[in-house]
Amino acid sequence: MYNSPVLFDKSITIVNKFTPRNERRKFVVISDQAGYDQAKSFTSEIEGTVPVECLSINGMEDKEEIKRLILSQKMGTQFYIAAAWNNAVMIFSLGVEAGLSEAEIQTVIIGPKRRYVYCMKCFEVSEVEEEAEIAECDHCKASLEIGPFYSIVREGYIGYPYIPIGKVEVGS
Amino acid sequence: MFTQSLDFKTTDLNTFPFPFTSGNYRYSNDLKKLSNVNCIEVTPEYKLQVETKRRLLEEQPHIRFQSFSHTMEMQWEVLEMLIDMAADRYPEHFEVIKDGDKWTFKNHIFGETDSFVYGDASTLPNEPLDYIGRHFHNDFVLMVHRDSNFYLEVGQVSYAALFSANWNKGMSFDEIHAPVPFVSRKGDELADRVRKFLLSIEPGKPWTRINWNLMADRWDVNYETMDVWGPQRSEITPENAGKLVRLRVEEQKFYRMPRSNAILFVLNTQFLPLEDLTLRQEWFDLTYSVLQDIPGPMAEYKGIAPFLPQSVEYLRSIDEKKKAKINNK
Ligand code: HEM
Ligand SMILES: [Zn+2]
Repeated sequence: MYNSPVLFDKSITIVNKFTPRNERRKFVVISDQAGYDQAKSFTSEIEGTVPVECLSINGMEDKEEIKRLILSQKMGTQFYIAAAWNNAVMIFSLGVEAGLSEAEIQTVIIGPKRRYVYCMKCFEVSEVEEEAEIAECDHCKASLEIGPFYSIVREGYIGYPYIPIGKVEVGS
Repeated sequence: MFTQSLDFKTTDLNTFPFPFTSGNYRYSNDLKKLSNVNCIEVTPEYKLQVETKRRLLEEQPHIRFQSFSHTMEMQWEVLEMLIDMAADRYPEHFEVIKDGDKWTFKNHIFGETDSFVYGDASTLPNEPLDYIGRHFHNDFVLMVHRDSNFYLEVGQVSYAALFSANWNKGMSFDEIHAPVPFVSRKGDELADRVRKFLLSIEPGKPWTRINWNLMADRWDVNYETMDVWGPQRSEITPENAGKLVRLRVEEQKFYRMPRSNAILFVLNTQFLPLEDLTLRQEWFDLTYSVLQDIPGPMAEYKGIAPFLPQSVEYLRSIDEKKKAKINNK
């Protein structure tokens, strides 16, 4: 569905550190190589409280296995993802496709998060630095001020076009 | 290009939805029961507005019309409602012949006749809402009811005031209103209250409200052309504000669609240059009073902060001239 959650830098599922949701019946922890230590320290922290199932993955090639693991869970399972950005996005999307809500997933991102701006001139997204306030569109070169509003459908923050001092207008 | 400048204004003041009822304006849940349920209106500017709308839709299809492919059935329902309303209110201008699902729609103002199979979008030149929307000067937005919220799934928007069908596609009522400094007189958050109110709207009992803004020599101010109109706003002076600054009003109507349960949002946008306010003294007085009392965040949000002082100054000079005249009598 177009309004299903997507993972972006300010997603509510992204946390700095996992919190055990002990009211849940079971935890599933999925990590890639970058997230392995995080996953490990979480599972040892909660040892003996709630049943846990862990999966370590390498990347895209493990898609089917991740899908199978998610789909085989019963209601009341809490999912934990510890991974670098691209893998986290893949795992998160598989979870959403399988019908999970954001409340059922916690995600720790290892390394940089990716952030995109949606150009209101040409309607394409460009990747931008995590803290950037302005950007140039990769596609039409418009100067964009990065707004605070995010579109799940466009998968980017709104990019308001503006003309920097000294630059010639790109079109109207 | 025509898109850049505005070349029409409301000439029949009786059709102008003047927005102010008191001397200061704050956001509120200002929805009222709509008395005339039929939203089709043919004003002296009908042809000009519809021609401009059609041109914008041709020139900027991605900006002006957006939809999801699963909305076809809901769009047909809208088409049916609008055609029936048009033929009902203006039989001399619009005509529909329904022979089973073979329909013929005639627009006598433009001298157009279209035949199509109701329910079969391949028999129309555009998607159903996009097609029928090109016969009326209004903007049309279909907000689909899902999980206690409304999502923008179809939008034909030619008179944008920071409204982009492209950007807002798929957004919920709350997401769409996130940029609005939506605080009421009492200082509470309005978005939630208004959304709940919309949930209670019933088929056959539409509601209405009027939104307003000021435009500095523009047809619309959308995000897509912010680089152009942003700087232009500083060209307004107290001397040219009377002609170049228009009071822009949106008469908004909200219909619950009986079959899809969606809310159809219909907008009638009209413009009046500040200098024409003197044609109705009461309108002049209310506008002058309201514009002197706009909270900073509202002026910033509406995009009028760079030319609001010049506009107020213009109104003040008119007001003074009038008072001087009275005193000299
Ligand atoms: C359900 C259909 C509606 C849609 C699609 C809609 C859409 C919009 C959009 C696109 C904007 C501009 C947001 C931006 O700056 O990006 C806006 C502004 C606004 N909307 Fe709505 N709206 C709807 C219903 C309502 C209702 C029922 C109210 C009732 C109070 C309302 C009150 C406002 C106000 C006060 C603003 C700020 C406008 C200004 O100050 O110029 N809206 N709306
Ligand atoms: Zn671009």
